[in-house]
Amino acid sequence: MRRVAIGERPDWRDTARRHGFTFHTLDGAAYWSESHAYAFTLAEIENDLEGPSAEIHALCLAFVGDAVEDERILASLDIPLHARDGIRASWKRGDPSLYGRLDFSYGGASAGPAKLLEYNADTPTALYESGVFQWLWLEEGLRTGMLPEAADQFNSLHEKLVARFRALRGDGALAFTAYADAPEDRGTVAYLEDCARQAGLATCFLDLADIGRDEDGRFVDRVHAPIPQLFKLYPWEWAFTDAFGEGLGATTTRFLEPPWKAILSNKGLLAHLHAREPGHPNLLPAFFEDDPRKASLGTSFVKKPLVSREGANILMVRDGAVLAQDHGPYGGGRHIRQALAELPDFEGRRPVIGSWIVGDEAAGLCIRESAVPITGNAALFVPHFIEPA
Amino acid sequence: MRSQTVTLVMLAGAGAAAFGLARIDPSQNEEDVLVYPNAEACIAGRIRTDADCREEYLTARASYPGAAPLYATMIDCEAHHGASHCLPGDGIVLSATGRFVPRMAGYVIGRRADQGLTPQPIFDHAPKSASAVSAGYSGGAGYCTGWGGRITTSSGGASSTARVASSAVRQVAYGGFGSTGRSFSSHGFSSHGSGG
Repeated sequence: MRRVAIGERPDWRDTARRHGFTFHTLDGAAYWSESHAYAFTLAEIENDLEGPSAEIHALCLAFVGDAVEDERILASLDIPLHARDGIRASWKRGDPSLYGRLDFSYGGASAGPAKLLEYNADTPTALYESGVFQWLWLEEGLRTGMLPEAADQFNSLHEKLVARFRALRGDGALAFTAYADAPEDRGTVAYLEDCARQAGLATCFLDLADIGRDEDGRFVDRVHAPIPQLFKLYPWEWAFTDAFGEGLGATTTRFLEPPWKAILSNKGLLAHLHAREPGHPNLLPAFFEDDPRKASLGTSFVKKPLVSREGANILMVRDGAVLAQDHGPYGGGRHIRQALAELPDFEGRRPVIGSWIVGDEAAGLCIRESAVPITGNAALFVPHFIEPA
Repeated sequence: MRSQTVTLVMLAGAGAAAFGLARIDPSQNEEDVLVYPNAEACIAGRIRTDADCREEYLTARASYPGAAPLYATMIDCEAHHGASHCLPGDGIVLSATGRFVPRMAGYVIGRRADQGLTPQPIFDHAPKSASAVSAGYSGGAGYCTGWGGRITTSSGGASSTARVASSAVRQVAYGGFGSTGRSFSSHGFSSHGSGG
């Protein structure tokens, strides 16, 4: 794994505009960044990232199967009582999932195995830029000679998403919802809507505020039509707390991601996975903060709230000294403590590897790069390629 | 690791908002309802039992203070509901003090009890009605529910049947999703939204 100076395409902003990639710059700050790229060997991709991703996802599914049968586990994840029946039912029905993103600390084959930092199993973004714009960058780089001949990319996101939607047809209609006024969310959902259409589904977009609940407890749109299937880019833990959260268990609407993903999109997962698979090369030791065994981590650790977004409220301690701390809005509730696996340092830049899961398969990579130890929403999206053998 | 060309229509080209889902408007789902000015008219109609008529009227009457739309001025209220069909809000509920509400013109129930329609108050719906009625155009009476659902009865009489859009008589609540995420907005909720 190397960080390579490539030089940005002079006209990439035009290319982005042509493709509808409007959120390459957010709130005035750059987000997409192609002056550099990360280069991997094929062995690094296949052995260190693709294989472990599929394996960890499988461990996660096994954990969900146990968690839905165990109130103590659900309680340890701070999942509210009123949400548990809906979560359990969604798992037992076999409600399918669409996608997720495992985040790893990984610095190349010589730096040891990739270490799972968290599983963004419910509302991951960075999807369009991973699946499409990164791929277009590769194709153009190959065409212009900016990238070495026969360079490749770990990226089957787009076709796997379309194939997954094809398998999820249901009655042929799928509604999508998100905050219409959040460009990154809106862009991500527009991309997924596009994939669903290519899979032959009839789609529509609803602002979150356009979802209604009728007297029978059904979720309906603005013309009171029931919504049989709904993709929501809105975290389950927020939905559970919302006014409609009480009725989620009884609804006939089927969701993507399904409610059982709330068990995975929770940092408590990391403590449970460690307990189930101690010594797993890709899992860091992790404990709930109220577990005395956390002392075994010593004076270097990361403390994380069970649910937070964009690196918020994370406390990073090395040798007893605070290395980094984010003061965000998610400080309440339970926390976990995870062994410290600092992101690798490439010329002062710290990449975090996002490894995509579509359905149950590993489907590609995205890399977000920060100048600071905690990857927050100021991170840059940096493309990657696989070096020819 | 793939060869397929990416083709997109939602992001590129026409733009994400340009696509609507074509489907049947469910407002075409209709149901039969009964409209009465009061319990006595219902009893006289001999469709419901006397006891049901009284109970359903009381249910509708009890929800009137909460269901009545509020207007800032008497003029606004009468523009929607007709001259002399409105009164000061404090006459029906303290929280409506300083506002104006329509009088309860009657109530609506399902034609059959098994429709499960909650009895609810209705209001005269009469924008520009003065001229229409005086011109003799109005074959049936126009009413509306508290949230604006329209009911047009088949005859001019106050006791009548109607076939209405389900959406006119069955209420839907909106805004039940999203507030938790918005509550984080004061902490830097950004263009990044709720994803991670």
